[in-house]
Amino acid sequence: MGIVSRAIRNISRRKIRALLVIIALGFSMAIMISIPAGVIANQQAATTLATNLGNTITETGQTINQTLLQIDCSLSSDFAGFGFGPQNFTFVPGQGDRNGFSSGGSSGGSWIAGLDPSQFGGGTVSGRFGGGAFGGGQANPMNESLYTDISQIAGVAAVEPVLQASEGSNVTTSFMGRTFTRMVPDYTIEGIPLISGLIDNYPIVPTNITSGRTLQAGDSGVVVLSENNSAYFNAGVGDTISILDNTFKVVGIHGSSGVSDTIVLYMNLSDAQRITNNEGYITSLRVFATSSDVVSQVATDIQSLHPELTVTTGQERLNQLQSLQSAYDTALANAQASIAQTEVTAFEEIIVVITATSLIVLFVMLYTVRERTKEIGTLKAIGFSNATVMGQFILEGILLSLIAGVVGIAIGVVAAPTISGLILPSVNLFSSSSTPFARALNMPTVAASVNLELIALAFGAALLLGALGSLYPAWRAAKIRPAEAMKYE
Amino acid sequence: MSNVVLQIENLNKTYMLGKRPVQALSNLSMHVNQGEFIAIMGPSGSGKTTLLNVIGCIDKPTDGQVLLDGIDVAKMPENQLYKIRRDKMGFVFQTFNLLPYLNARENVELPMEGKIKSKSERKKRAKELLAMVGLSGREEHRPQRLSAGEQQRVAIARALANNPAFILADEPTGNLDSENKQEIIKLLAKLNLTQGTTIIMVTHDSQAANHTERILLLKDGKIIKEKEGLHLAKKNNKCPNCGANIKSTDDICPICKKPINAIEEPFSS
Ligand SMILES: Nc1ncnc2c1ncn2[C@@H]1O[C@H](COP(=O)(O)OP(=O)(O)O)[C@@H](O)[C@H]1O
Ligand SMILES: [Mg+2]
Repeated sequence: MGIVSRAIRNISRRKIRALLVIIALGFSMAIMISIPAGVIANQQAATTLATNLGNTITETGQTINQTLLQIDCSLSSDFAGFGFGPQNFTFVPGQGDRNGFSSGGSSGGSWIAGLDPSQFGGGTVSGRFGGGAFGGGQANPMNESLYTDISQIAGVAAVEPVLQASEGSNVTTSFMGRTFTRMVPDYTIEGIPLISGLIDNYPIVPTNITSGRTLQAGDSGVVVLSENNSAYFNAGVGDTISILDNTFKVVGIHGSSGVSDTIVLYMNLSDAQRITNNEGYITSLRVFATSSDVVSQVATDIQSLHPELTVTTGQERLNQLQSLQSAYDTALANAQASIAQTEVTAFEEIIVVITATSLIVLFVMLYTVRERTKEIGTLKAIGFSNATVMGQFILEGILLSLIAGVVGIAIGVVAAPTISGLILPSVNLFSSSSTPFARALNMPTVAASVNLELIALAFGAALLLGALGSLYPAWRAAKIRPAEAMKYE
Repeated sequence: MSNVVLQIENLNKTYMLGKRPVQALSNLSMHVNQGEFIAIMGPSGSGKTTLLNVIGCIDKPTDGQVLLDGIDVAKMPENQLYKIRRDKMGFVFQTFNLLPYLNARENVELPMEGKIKSKSERKKRAKELLAMVGLSGREEHRPQRLSAGEQQRVAIARALANNPAFILADEPTGNLDSENKQEIIKLLAKLNLTQGTTIIMVTHDSQAANHTERILLLKDGKIIKEKEGLHLAKKNNKCPNCGANIKSTDDICPICKKPINAIEEPFSS
């Protein structure tokens, strides 16, 4: 019968009380571990955000460099000039895809903002993004004959007509007093010209193929799906799928290059025109200049020949990228400042919880000591030393605290996200002054979870706080006079 | 001739009740011989418990000497006193003071913890002691399952744990019915005879006191009278009434036929 088993028996003596104390202590310990778990989760979310943004910026930069010779042409939208559109970006960490949705969509059924997503890594972010009319419109189909016109402009090396169309369901939202119907796409069809001279020399067909093959000159009735498409159609290489009631054979799967084309499937332009009933129409033209020196001249010439077109050069896209980058930077800085603030709050809360925990142990143990005065007097009268008595009570405090620690960890493992969500200020990624675009980006959410390190830390804290809280009560116990044993109660 | 194991000289103990001093012991001197069975009687508040506490090193006198085997413990610091309590003293309390969450054996083992390292040895000794007080087979019972008399036996076994020089009992029969009272007194007397343990017992009960060999009467913190008890005659194997030879186990004198445990007020006059 050592002091350890005596401590255990003493705790189990008053079961209801022990239970209440352990629950109270357990909750404060659960809070104690949920706070760092929440902070760690926020930091991870910020890291994920930084990585995602960084990757996006890098990929965008690469795309820009690859296509610096490229000029994009599309028809202006009716909505141009409206401050910012209902574009909504959901940003899910770990998946890294960002889908841009376009408003309108009443004309042409499934027509959607028509820029090639690979142009600046921004999904189907409208090409008018940099021009202040951020989103807010769709590319209108234009006549294929433009192709011939533009091909003849001096300095033009090649022209690639593209037809892009998205299929999905319409969602109506109210935004700043206006109602928008935006289409949430399930997939986006991109028709590209599969002409041998063109696809051999210019970045037209998807290159990042994870299985099967990419599109070849003269391909028809075949598609290259993204991994998302593959899941959506539940089809792999060699399977046959139905798109707008037409059957296609899947010849390859492309690993999306970055975040842009996760729902884009590629097919021959003529196939795309046929199945979407757009024979003779395209949504954009990609013009390749003969050298970078002539790019701006070519753009000017295109614009004067066809003022109705929106003409964007690589240089302009670079500017867009820069404004995008500054929005990202603001987002990141805000996130970091917000996390720093969260850490300060977390630190203050931890101090409060530690104090509360030690105080619970202190008062419970003081009460126990008072209640057991006669017993302690007896132990001293029959020859227990002050040190043994002190040790007995410190051990009891530690044990109580350790049991509560187990309960707290159990609660923490289950409820850390809830608890940390309740008591930690949420991380604000964007200040009110940040751009609408930045505001539309959501903070990646990482659920707070209790890892082994935190569990070990919690046990250490339980041990320490148990000892700390019972130090004074144990000292009081040691000071009890043995003559108390003689008191007749 | 007799070996003095406890010598008290000019003992004073003053308690402060707020600002008012209370003289619990007043210039008290006494001695106790090895193997004596002593009763301390006296009215309530006369200082009996205080005296016993000072002897048992659980209270300190204001001044005076308490010589245990010639060593003055009156001014000893606590870090030595607890060893004296553990090794030399065995306390028996009026309220038994058993730890309710420990069984009889574990209660008896308590004082041995600082003395005997081996668990099995402690267990063995506790069982022997419980057998000695007549509680074989009840070792694993918790106090609440034992009668008052049985609880006091456990307490006596616990007092004997470290083979103490003294058993100090403060009204050990105060909470017992008359039958259990008899049993406990007989047990103490038997221990005194067989183990040679020196016993100092505070009691209100003159019948109990009569079973000791020397009775001290305390009043206002002083010993005002002393008397021989029946136990002395028994120890000397003489009938206290007629002086005839008796056996220590006899309850009635074989010669004069008077009961040896005859109830007689020790301080009637
Ligand atoms: N801790 C104490 N504080 C103050 N006075 C005390 C204390 N203990 C005992 N006394 C007083 O000392 C006197 C003797 O008490 P005590 O030794 O308990 O007497 P007894 O045991 O003979 O009844 C009493 O007047 C009592 O009130
Ligand atoms: Mg008393």
